[in-house]
Amino acid sequence: MNNHDSEKGSANRRKFLKLGLMSSVTAIAGTSLVSNFAPEEKANPSGEKIRVLTPDGKMVEVDATNINKYPEALITPAESRKGIPDRKFVMVIDLAKCKNARKCVESCQKAHQLDYHQEFMKIQLIQDHENASPYWFPKPCFHCDEPPCVTVCPTGATFKRDDGIVLIDNQRCIGCKFCITSCPYSARIFNWGHNDKFDDKSQSYSPETQVPAAEGTVMKCDFCPDLLRQGKLPYCAQACPMGVIYFGDKNEDIVTNGEETLSFSELINNRGGYRHLEHLGTKPNVYYLPAVDRQTPLERTFEVDEEIIDRYKDVPYVQGLKKQGKI
Amino acid sequence: MDTNSRKRELVNEFSPTLEKSSVLSNVWILALIAIIAMGLYAFYLQLTKGHVVTGMRDNVVWGVYIINFIFFVGISYSGAFISGMLHFFKTPWKNSVTRIVEIMTVLSIIVGPIFILLCIGRLDRIHYLFMYPRIQSPITWDIIAIITDIVGCFIYLYLTFIPDFAILRDHPNPKSPAWRKKLYTFLAINYKDTATQRERLHKITGIMSKMIIAMAIVAYTVLAWIFSLTLQPGWNSTIFAPDFIFSGLYSGVGVIIIAMYLIRKHFKLEQYIVQSHFIMAGVVLLVLSLLFGYFTFSDYFAKWFSHKPADTSLLKTLFSRYFWQFILANYIGVLVPLFILSIKKIRTIKSITFAALIAVLGLWLNRYLIVVPTLETPYLPIQDTRPEFIHYTATWIEWALSFAGVAAFILFFILIMRLVPIIPMSDIIEHERGQNTTQDAS
Amino acid sequence: MRTKLFQYIVIALTIGSVSNNGSFAQENDLKNYKVRFNLNTIKQPDNSRVLEVSFIATNKKDRKDRVPVFDADINFYNVTADEDLLLGTIKTDEEGAAKLTVPGNQTYVTDADGYINFKAVFEGTDGLDHEDAELAVRDVFLELNLEEIDSVKTVVLNAYTLDSLKTKIPLEDTSITFAVGGFISDLPIQESTVEGGEFQFQFPENISGDKNGNIAVIASILDSDEFGNVIQKKNINWGINKKIEIESNKLWSEVAPIWMYVVLSILLIGVWANYAYSINNLFKIKKEGKALELRSEHKR
Repeated sequence: MNNHDSEKGSANRRKFLKLGLMSSVTAIAGTSLVSNFAPEEKANPSGEKIRVLTPDGKMVEVDATNINKYPEALITPAESRKGIPDRKFVMVIDLAKCKNARKCVESCQKAHQLDYHQEFMKIQLIQDHENASPYWFPKPCFHCDEPPCVTVCPTGATFKRDDGIVLIDNQRCIGCKFCITSCPYSARIFNWGHNDKFDDKSQSYSPETQVPAAEGTVMKCDFCPDLLRQGKLPYCAQACPMGVIYFGDKNEDIVTNGEETLSFSELINNRGGYRHLEHLGTKPNVYYLPAVDRQTPLERTFEVDEEIIDRYKDVPYVQGLKKQGKI
Repeated sequence: MDTNSRKRELVNEFSPTLEKSSVLSNVWILALIAIIAMGLYAFYLQLTKGHVVTGMRDNVVWGVYIINFIFFVGISYSGAFISGMLHFFKTPWKNSVTRIVEIMTVLSIIVGPIFILLCIGRLDRIHYLFMYPRIQSPITWDIIAIITDIVGCFIYLYLTFIPDFAILRDHPNPKSPAWRKKLYTFLAINYKDTATQRERLHKITGIMSKMIIAMAIVAYTVLAWIFSLTLQPGWNSTIFAPDFIFSGLYSGVGVIIIAMYLIRKHFKLEQYIVQSHFIMAGVVLLVLSLLFGYFTFSDYFAKWFSHKPADTSLLKTLFSRYFWQFILANYIGVLVPLFILSIKKIRTIKSITFAALIAVLGLWLNRYLIVVPTLETPYLPIQDTRPEFIHYTATWIEWALSFAGVAAFILFFILIMRLVPIIPMSDIIEHERGQNTTQDAS
Repeated sequence: MRTKLFQYIVIALTIGSVSNNGSFAQENDLKNYKVRFNLNTIKQPDNSRVLEVSFIATNKKDRKDRVPVFDADINFYNVTADEDLLLGTIKTDEEGAAKLTVPGNQTYVTDADGYINFKAVFEGTDGLDHEDAELAVRDVFLELNLEEIDSVKTVVLNAYTLDSLKTKIPLEDTSITFAVGGFISDLPIQESTVEGGEFQFQFPENISGDKNGNIAVIASILDSDEFGNVIQKKNINWGINKKIEIESNKLWSEVAPIWMYVVLSILLIGVWANYAYSINNLFKIKKEGKALELRSEHKR
């Protein structure tokens, strides 16, 4: 009798635990299920959505396309070959401040509707030699003044404008990939297969936005001419929390990172600005300020996904850190 | 009369090669068609799913297709060069080989560019190359060169076919079907082998043969420039153009020897393609293997000796990941033919053909080692986690299309051999007449 | 048993939907938001004045989660002793900003201390509380002159306020920033404090200016308690104009170097002329053969 009772008791207990486990599991599943149906800020290919408060105190979502005036002034592929008049755009990247926050990468990907692994701005970890301390190296397209990529394009799909920006017309590109092989900075990427985002017709294509992209064509950093036409900084420069990326016009000799505005020639001269692989003669328009007097010590710059740290496994410093168990 | 009877004799002799089809040859043709069909299916997959089905990714954007392109176009240019050169020789032994060389030239310049088309991301826009060409681009030069070359080689081949078409039209095999006679009549363009016609034909063939030599060199140089005019480590080498010319010749002679062997065996042409042909081709192959080894060695030795970091990382890749390919391509591919061809005793027809096979395979690998490792070691290190973006591995689609290309080459070769005899009958007659068939027209 | 299972699932789903937790810290409830309503004033170079309101709700727990109030009516007033003079009504945009530009010829009513009192009001609704903000600024005049004094390029600033009798009172102890106009952002060239209503400094030598050498020199008082924001601009052709030349006929330009066209044409014409010659000869062969055939037929 007693046995039977205790058995029943334990059976009830088991049932209770089972109920609890099941409920929590279904709660989690239910949450994710329901949240998939709830109105949210998903990466919506057809125009960004932002949350605003109506005067009645309700939170709603509004199409954000009205904020960016660019679609109203859409630059067609033919017009995009002429640059913004009287400008010569230049970028200065301060390697002393970069701490691998990757906000530049993320904001660029969001703005150009890129997949997780597609990066116009790549962050490399460069160790110049065995005795050197490695530094984080944000690498956009350099928009060279003597671009090898433009020289080799057989159809003129990639072109250099008078304002210095090198763009790609995805409606002209035949996907021969000669430009990718000839860029010594590995700045270009290719759309290998079909992607649903290519079918989005809500925006007209412009080489200045590169949205929507096309299968079998080449893409790269474009210095965001759509923002420049509105007098705004490119997405990467706006997003950087450390103010690493300065951008401006070489003609008027002014660059800014959103907080500081400086004279470009003074910045380069006082801080020893240089260009990467200068000896190749491509004459890049992205200058780097040497990684001296680092703002953030190198050991504290590895707070990113392990998958991303894995990219740098060939750098001796990273191997050392792994051995010491620090990452 | 004597000529006519001799012509009839020759037609009787060569008709079986044109019309008879044995079980073996039918099986062979079916196998080739099957391989081509597989390739077409692979192409269909690539067309619908995009280039993501290949092994190429953002760093190694050029793979097996480009390698096949260089390889086949190399064979073609070497064929053009050799057939142009052979045109100058008045010796009888060249008769047996010229047509093989010329057909090889035309076929490989047709198959080669097909591989380039496979590498193009947007085939629906291929006409942009003609609507918006940029003449600063080496690819534009290459397109112009290839088109010019296709037309030139085709014309040249046709010129050599005309007298044979005339013979086949005038002395048809009674058993051959009517459409053949019609075809030959059409293709022979009323060539009656009169003195003036013969002279005219010789004149333009002579000019074309010189032009073909020049075009072969220029066109393959342009292809080499596609690589050597970029800044990439491993490609930006001044030796590329001469290296390509001689490597192309090397592979071309190799393919000629293999073709000679197979044709001789299958059509039982032992009296026309004799050992001395093989020996002569073998000696040429020997010289070319030395040149190929010399150029390749010069290129890599300079890189190793001056140890610039970009070159060093390239060499490291070559000797770690591609170690066996490197050995096969540049050591075995040179030394084995060298060994076989330099020792008289070993120089039999079979061994020479074997040496040619090693040469051809070694050269294909050499092309692979030129294209892919450079793309895997760019100036700015590839810092990625996805293995297919770090290293290149060709997928079955690329291999299927490669084999389909080779199969198409062989199949077209077989089909052309059904149209015209592989040994030019008109040349035999000319030679027997004791006339100067290759009088220099200029 | 089955219905019980069904019940559990329903309960679990309800719990799940209530604790809907997609992106982090996103809420639909104003309870956790603090609503900020700020008023600012900027006096422009043409004497007009911009009154700007920023109406944004910030999440108390996550300061990055900011929700602007959109399409709300904001009334701007000049507050006087007797009444509020309505200057204008503007709706907030998607960034929660409402900007009213009051023209330069507007006369404001000042209070006893000479300050102009501004007020911006949002009439409350059921969902949002009434908000207002006040600001008191004094009107200040900045006169910017760009002169060459003893062949030295100098920037001269005169700053004064007006008292009730319209006499000029020199400005004291106010920090001024001087900048040069730029495409995306202005370049600061001098920062100092005005004393005795005057300040002058040497203009830097190496400013580029635009393609014609024109520079916009901007003097501004920023975030002053007494004056708000004041901006004054003047243009001068002191730029040394570092304009960079545009190249053509290069490898990377649209039009190639001329010699490329020439060489290519020569080569192609040479080769294809030869082809044409060969084909022409082929036709001649055909013609001759045909003639021969006709002749032999004729003979028969």
